[in-house]
Amino acid sequence: MSELKTYNIAFPKFRVSGQVLHPRLGKKSQQTVCYVDEDLLTLSFRAASQLVAADCEPDAVLFATSSPVFQSRYHASFLTDLLGLKQGILALDVISTARAGTDALLLADKLVNSGQYNTILLIAAHVDFPPAGLEYQHSFGHAAVAMIISKDKGLAEINSSESYSSSLAEEFVYKGVKTNYDARFSRSAGFMTNMTDAWKNTDPKPDQIQHLIINSPYARMALGMVKKSGFDTDKQLLKDSIMPVAGHTGACHGFLQMISAIENCKGSALLFDYQNGTNVIGFSIHKNPDESKLSRLHFTDISCYQDYLALRKQGDFKDDAYQPQEMFSSEMMMEREKDQLMYLNGQECTSCHAVYLIKTIRCHHCKGTDFTVKKLATTGTVYTLTAEHYFPASFPPVHMVVIDLDGGGRITVQQTDNMYHDDENRLNIGDRVELVYRSMMENDKKPNYFWKCVKLAQ
Amino acid sequence: MKKNIAIIGIGSTPFGDLFSYSYDDLVREAATAAMKDAGIGPEDLQAAWLSTAFPEIGVFKGRSGMDLAEPLGIFGIPVTRVSNFCASGADAIRNAANALAAGECDVAMALGVEKLRDRAPQDSIVKMMVELSHPFYQKGFTAAGTFAVYANRMMHEYGVTKEDIASVSVKNHFHGSMNEKAHYRASCTIDQVLSSPMVANPLTLMDSCPTTDGAACVIMVRAEDVDKSKHKPINIDGIGLSISTGWDLPFFDSGHDFLSFQATRDAAAIAYRQAGITKPFEEIDLVEVHDCFSIVELITYEDLRLCKAGESKELIRGKATQLGGEIPVNVSGGLLSCGHPVGATGVRMVVEVANHLRGQAGERQVKGAKRGLTHNIGGPGAIASVIILNNEH
Repeated sequence: MSELKTYNIAFPKFRVSGQVLHPRLGKKSQQTVCYVDEDLLTLSFRAASQLVAADCEPDAVLFATSSPVFQSRYHASFLTDLLGLKQGILALDVISTARAGTDALLLADKLVNSGQYNTILLIAAHVDFPPAGLEYQHSFGHAAVAMIISKDKGLAEINSSESYSSSLAEEFVYKGVKTNYDARFSRSAGFMTNMTDAWKNTDPKPDQIQHLIINSPYARMALGMVKKSGFDTDKQLLKDSIMPVAGHTGACHGFLQMISAIENCKGSALLFDYQNGTNVIGFSIHKNPDESKLSRLHFTDISCYQDYLALRKQGDFKDDAYQPQEMFSSEMMMEREKDQLMYLNGQECTSCHAVYLIKTIRCHHCKGTDFTVKKLATTGTVYTLTAEHYFPASFPPVHMVVIDLDGGGRITVQQTDNMYHDDENRLNIGDRVELVYRSMMENDKKPNYFWKCVKLAQ
Repeated sequence: MKKNIAIIGIGSTPFGDLFSYSYDDLVREAATAAMKDAGIGPEDLQAAWLSTAFPEIGVFKGRSGMDLAEPLGIFGIPVTRVSNFCASGADAIRNAANALAAGECDVAMALGVEKLRDRAPQDSIVKMMVELSHPFYQKGFTAAGTFAVYANRMMHEYGVTKEDIASVSVKNHFHGSMNEKAHYRASCTIDQVLSSPMVANPLTLMDSCPTTDGAACVIMVRAEDVDKSKHKPINIDGIGLSISTGWDLPFFDSGHDFLSFQATRDAAAIAYRQAGITKPFEEIDLVEVHDCFSIVELITYEDLRLCKAGESKELIRGKATQLGGEIPVNVSGGLLSCGHPVGATGVRMVVEVANHLRGQAGERQVKGAKRGLTHNIGGPGAIASVIILNNEH
């Protein structure tokens, strides 16, 4: 049996409420929103990087989303490179519906159980903006989840993974246009028919399965069927605890509910993940993790719709006087210098231990010529800084921070996640910061990513 | 210098928004003035050096010596373009001096020119930092920001205040009010400097030099060849130029303290050694330093050894560097008043000091000046030049 060995989650810092999106309707929803330099890939990297750093090296990477940013390019391959994993391994995208996450989990489970793969990194992410002005009609929320599926014992055993197809989807996009049928017909012929099929085939018993998760907006329709099978829906059917906190996180949503169960419940559980078909994942929780990630979430609320619009306007500068051009290609430079630019591999002088991110053949301090590779840390202390009021950016001023990294080495980067220049974000010399990987230029059409920094709690 | 080199002709255009001048007009006016001052014609020149730092953000002129030869009609001689960021002008003079010392030529011209104002600043300086520089390293800085990080460290480490920094601007704008060729000729107060728009914290608009058009030129010969019946030469006692770090390196090397420019210290050491200067505060009468942003002037006091590390604030507070003080600095108005046509600035400073050493600086004349120093730093702290001039030979 495969195991969910470990996991990590990544949410953006910012969150918008239904009240801000449409004050007159006053919806009580909360939806997580990427910062202007954050996207599907940076959020995925944040979720996955800690797992890769802390765990063994995966021999396969599966990436799941229903909101892809690439066409004709594999997100999984891009992330494999970004994470510093070797190329030439199995790296697949699973891109279809919001069920993509459990599609990938199902695939990972089969691959591990087949004995062909030992450690699979599975990443699911969702970053999608509804049309401006219509956000209140959508329950979008941005998130990424990464997990390691392996044979090694972890937090939960995946003891079954099945999928049940359905010919009918309640709503879908055809040639760029959203299509839907009469709601009563489609939910009955779509969700209920398929769910019944999945339920019957799974045939769960209340004395064997302690917890149920039904990931579908129509879950209420299935309550009668669940009760009829002897389940106590008040106690055993887990409520969606993610939706009120972050909105609907697409391909991540089933995983986040699964993680919520792993963090808070004991025993066996079944996840029914529905969209145009149902994936049924059975898992047994060995132990709750030492640290509950979902209970430690902290967000900054966006205070008005104008701020939300400014934040989601990826591609526009506020500075009307500046006519941006595309930067010269950084693709070749990144490929050539990814050791420094992407992986932060510096050089350490073997005689005086000075550390350089920028390659040199002669130490600037002791004139030594012998160096070893030094992986720079991603935490450090502000040495000096400034706020640039004339560099074109979505949220000027751009704060430039010179950071002495823990363990040696220096880097100079922009501060990010600081739409609100308040005390929580205000940096001073001596403050602690952490590096995060973000999109570099809002105006650039190329995937230009580099390190920025965020303020750590002091 | 191993061989004494003398400046026999100086000339410059006004500095400012010279919308009526082309690049070639600037070259012609500065060169004509210098040649007239030296009593020579274009036919007497045997070699020339052209300093333009940024053809690509200006008018694409100055990419080779050809752009000096063509407007002056000086063909058939070596003409070389020099580019070394803000030290370009001083480097043109250094190259001319070395060629004279080596005997390659007998009469040399060094001319600095920059035509920046045919483009809006957003299209030139800012665009350079945004789009033409490394796509990741230092992305987010403008020129001001790369010096503002020094200002914040100086404030943190040495107790320099925003008022100290603003005082440099107040002093230099006061000096600039007496310079008929300066871009800005208005005095200002500390409150005006502090309340002007923030550019890169803590540097405000009035802590920052403007983008400017201008040109300056010097004619040089070996001192032994000077006809003293015709000329009152200004001698070059020392020229130091040093690249002591890189464009990116300080921002990626934790050994860099952001309290000093090693390039200035290295260039000064070379120039002081050549000139035999051991106590610069006592042995130099006036100084032109590269106040592209006011903090740079304070740091340079220390790097030129006019005071000890951490004591620059005392110099500015005590008005020692104001006209009439013990060691006047930037009596031209500096870059803050004159502006900064990058390739021209180093030559403009030499013209300014030469004017004082000749006793021809008018209202802002440093009385009895015998020895002066010019300083440039650029790149944005990697390259520095120091030139020592005197009138005593």
